[in-house]
Amino acid sequence: MSQRHVSRRTVLAGALGATAALSVPRMGFPAVKKGTALRMWILKTYVEPTNKAIEASAQRWAQKHGASVTVEYFTFEDMQTKYVAAIESKSTPDVGQLETGAPARFAGMGQLLDLSSFSKEIDSQAGKAPANVAPVTMLDGKVYSIPWYVMGAFWYVWRDVLDKAKVKMPSTFAEAKEVAQAVTRPKDNFYGMGQSWNRTADGYGVMQSLMYSYGVGWADKSGKYKSIKTKEMQAVMKWATDIYKDNLQPADTLTWTGSGNNENFIAKNVAQTSNGPSITFAMENAVAKATDAKDKKMKEEALANAVALPHLGGPDGRRMQAIAMSMGVFKGSKDPEAAMSLIAHLVSPEETVMVMKDSYGQFAPVLEKAKAASKDYFNKNENYRTFGRAAEWFAPTGWPGPVTAAAAEVQASNVLTDAPAKVIVDKWSVDQAIEWEDKKIKEIYDTLKG
Amino acid sequence: MTRALTWIGLVLFLLLILVPFWWIASMSFKTYEQIQFATSIYVPKPFTWENYTGLWTETRFPLWLRNSLVTALVVTLVTSVVASLGGYAVARLRFPGREMVASLILILYLIPPALLFIPLYRVLTELGATNHLAALFLAYPTFTVPFCTWLLIGFFKALPEELEEAALIDGAGRVTAFVRVLLPLAAPGLVASAIFAFTLSWNEFLYALVFIQDETLITVPVGLNLLIYGDVFHWGQLMAASVITTIPVVALYVFIHRWMAEGLVAGSVKG
Amino acid sequence: MSARTGWSLGARGRETGTALLFLLPLFVLVVGLIFYPFYRAIWLSLTDKLVGYPERFVGLRNYEYLAQDDAFQQVIWNSVVFTVVSVALKVVTGLAMALVLNNLIRARNFLRGLFLLPWITSTVIIALTWRWMFDSFPGRGFLNSFLLDLGLLSQPIAFMATPAGAMAAVVIANWWRAFPFFGVSFLAGMVSIPRELYEAAAVDGAGASRRFWHITLPGLKHVIIVTTLLSFILTINDFNIIYVMTRGGPGTATQVFATYSYQVAFGQLRWGRGVTISIFVVPILVVGIILISRYLLRDRR
Repeated sequence: MSQRHVSRRTVLAGALGATAALSVPRMGFPAVKKGTALRMWILKTYVEPTNKAIEASAQRWAQKHGASVTVEYFTFEDMQTKYVAAIESKSTPDVGQLETGAPARFAGMGQLLDLSSFSKEIDSQAGKAPANVAPVTMLDGKVYSIPWYVMGAFWYVWRDVLDKAKVKMPSTFAEAKEVAQAVTRPKDNFYGMGQSWNRTADGYGVMQSLMYSYGVGWADKSGKYKSIKTKEMQAVMKWATDIYKDNLQPADTLTWTGSGNNENFIAKNVAQTSNGPSITFAMENAVAKATDAKDKKMKEEALANAVALPHLGGPDGRRMQAIAMSMGVFKGSKDPEAAMSLIAHLVSPEETVMVMKDSYGQFAPVLEKAKAASKDYFNKNENYRTFGRAAEWFAPTGWPGPVTAAAAEVQASNVLTDAPAKVIVDKWSVDQAIEWEDKKIKEIYDTLKG
Repeated sequence: MTRALTWIGLVLFLLLILVPFWWIASMSFKTYEQIQFATSIYVPKPFTWENYTGLWTETRFPLWLRNSLVTALVVTLVTSVVASLGGYAVARLRFPGREMVASLILILYLIPPALLFIPLYRVLTELGATNHLAALFLAYPTFTVPFCTWLLIGFFKALPEELEEAALIDGAGRVTAFVRVLLPLAAPGLVASAIFAFTLSWNEFLYALVFIQDETLITVPVGLNLLIYGDVFHWGQLMAASVITTIPVVALYVFIHRWMAEGLVAGSVKG
Repeated sequence: MSARTGWSLGARGRETGTALLFLLPLFVLVVGLIFYPFYRAIWLSLTDKLVGYPERFVGLRNYEYLAQDDAFQQVIWNSVVFTVVSVALKVVTGLAMALVLNNLIRARNFLRGLFLLPWITSTVIIALTWRWMFDSFPGRGFLNSFLLDLGLLSQPIAFMATPAGAMAAVVIANWWRAFPFFGVSFLAGMVSIPRELYEAAAVDGAGASRRFWHITLPGLKHVIIVTTLLSFILTINDFNIIYVMTRGGPGTATQVFATYSYQVAFGQLRWGRGVTISIFVVPILVVGIILISRYLLRDRR
């Protein structure tokens, strides 16, 4: 085991030595040679206009510098596979958009350029990222990517349903369960909640939000494994499995795909669900596509009634595991300076605001100046004001420790959502499930130091 | 009694086989709202072409179709050549170890892609073929060739040797006998083998998923899987894509199923 | 045989040169893209290869890990259940289909072609279609809607929400896709059973049922065995249907060798372990292959 540790350090040391030679000049942004061609990978979000807006922003940079950018996409589904494939075949892009766990993972493999000094430039141009988001971009004290925005998750509820049942909007997980109990009407095929423990962000993301809000983490502040066999975790597992009893949720909730909860919420089959702003996006689209005045009115009412509340809190606070997107430069890049220039352009306040305007609220910028510049946009209505606050509650994978390769693997191994499934489907006891989950997590940490 | 049972059986089978296809087709003509809000599920109401147009204009489906087609054609060509040459050797030529080669060919077909996909991925990476259609041109024959060769061995064996012998007696070489005499005779088998190769290639998923990441280079099955945006589910478009993808293969089969069934059978039954 | 220039059909080994020429492309393909990767698969299974890091030899550690991994034990069980049930269903339905088609002389060709539609359709499409058929959302799930409309159900059933239900769903999709292949093979086998046997039996007063059990079935023995073995081997390695329908869920209820291997290799980035999962199938493969070879080649003389 120590062998691996040593070899990785050696790799890192070598990498750092190499990057020292490529470090950015202290003053001003990197110069870009005319005719440079860069490849950039970005996430294809659920909101197509955002994807196009980011591409447009990249093209503006290309125009300005007489260079060219080829934008390629990856999705939430193939994020891993794509980067894995590129790393193994040494065909990584110049600039890559990285989700929460990726900077640590890839930096650990020695794939990313050390951007520590570059990030200081960004600090002065676009502002700093808040303290809870910055760790995402760091490994061993060095910065490997520039944080750009957070895609938050929110607690959607049907306001009219809650009003009718005279219950108030839930702010904690416990309250949400009570609301579900008050409004569930299985006979009418209407349920109090729709929370699936599936292998998507709607599943493992919410499970982490639940855990972190109850103060449970599988790693300690330094990133080392910590046992989850605590009574807080018991409470977590209990909540996770209680919502599957008493007809609080549709029978097939556990097998939903990523869009299952969206569909069920929009079709008003469930009163509450966790999701990103894409539900609002879908409903705004529906209004735009309305066929006549009556249809339009109906859809507008629905939009107004679908409220996005801050994600639920627990006894230890309100923490929302979300996707924090940052931009990194791969070592294989032939023109790292141009790559950095592109990143600087994208995360600048002006460009960020332009992209964000097409994001239907799913894109909450984290760098101070961009955040300030986007205040007006998020003032549109109640939901948008909530969307804009996403970074406030952000907690990364592996909280309270830094995002490490092991933490990322815990999320990727599906153990977080398989555990409650064992109680719900295989009828294990809560203790058994926690025991099993803890064992699996420990195994990962044992075979993957840090 | 048998008559009645036969007819009942026929009707049941027809329903069993056709209902899912009708379901796909019907869904492809429904609006997103109708699918989402579950009105009148049996019949598209309103009937719309928007899924088809959306598929064509909003997604990369046309590219995927092109990729699948190019791959299938190249692979079919390669397979036909390699398989007929190899099949001929085993069916007609006498050489030591012939029986062993025949068994080996079948065994090769049974080595699962699920086993090879990881090391094959590394090999293709080393060849620089990953993320290009070339990866599929190289990988697909690994399962189409064994199957088609085996098929053709059976087919060739079932053909009478006299005509070739006559040619050989007349002084023709083996190659000429093969090309001028056997191949024309074996046309049905060759067509069957080509269609098999085409279909296997057209429908393949795992290798296409793993070896190619570029969204403009993926094949239709991988693209369909991708149409599940994760959060927004375009079922209608998915079904429209399914219809479009299935039609060419079905069209091919309408004309050639007789030969295909015979070819299939020649391999497994006649041995 | 009269004298001729060059080639002799009688002498063994004289055509080895030509044979090698004809077999060369096949040989290159096989060695380069099947044997070589297979060999590397074995090697990889003895390492701890993790994406992005160089691999290290660790001997049988992956095998040991999997042997005691409860998820893997579930995978083995699932794979066996999936395969055995699916193949059994295919055999029975294939027989029924062959019988039906055998009795219909007119339009037989047309129907045979029609019935093969599932077999030529992309498995990804089939998986998506059947996922939809089983959907528990009343507006979309065909089966639920149908049963609700008939009044047989008062509430929709979440078919795929339970391990048994999900397994049944993927088995059905797999079966639906493949039984026509069985049917067509059996039909061809039936057609080649000599008519005289049936006529003699009819003269002896044997009814349809007896004719089936004593003539048809034995006559089909060879085809049934070969097709079953082939299907067994192909089904136990199936990836597409399960991956697209359930991704192996709920939990690990439908996780099979191929899908688990994929998840471990590309989700958890552990290639050493991922490959080892697939290698566990090799013994089954070998047994199956030996059996098939015996049956197939027995009649090749």
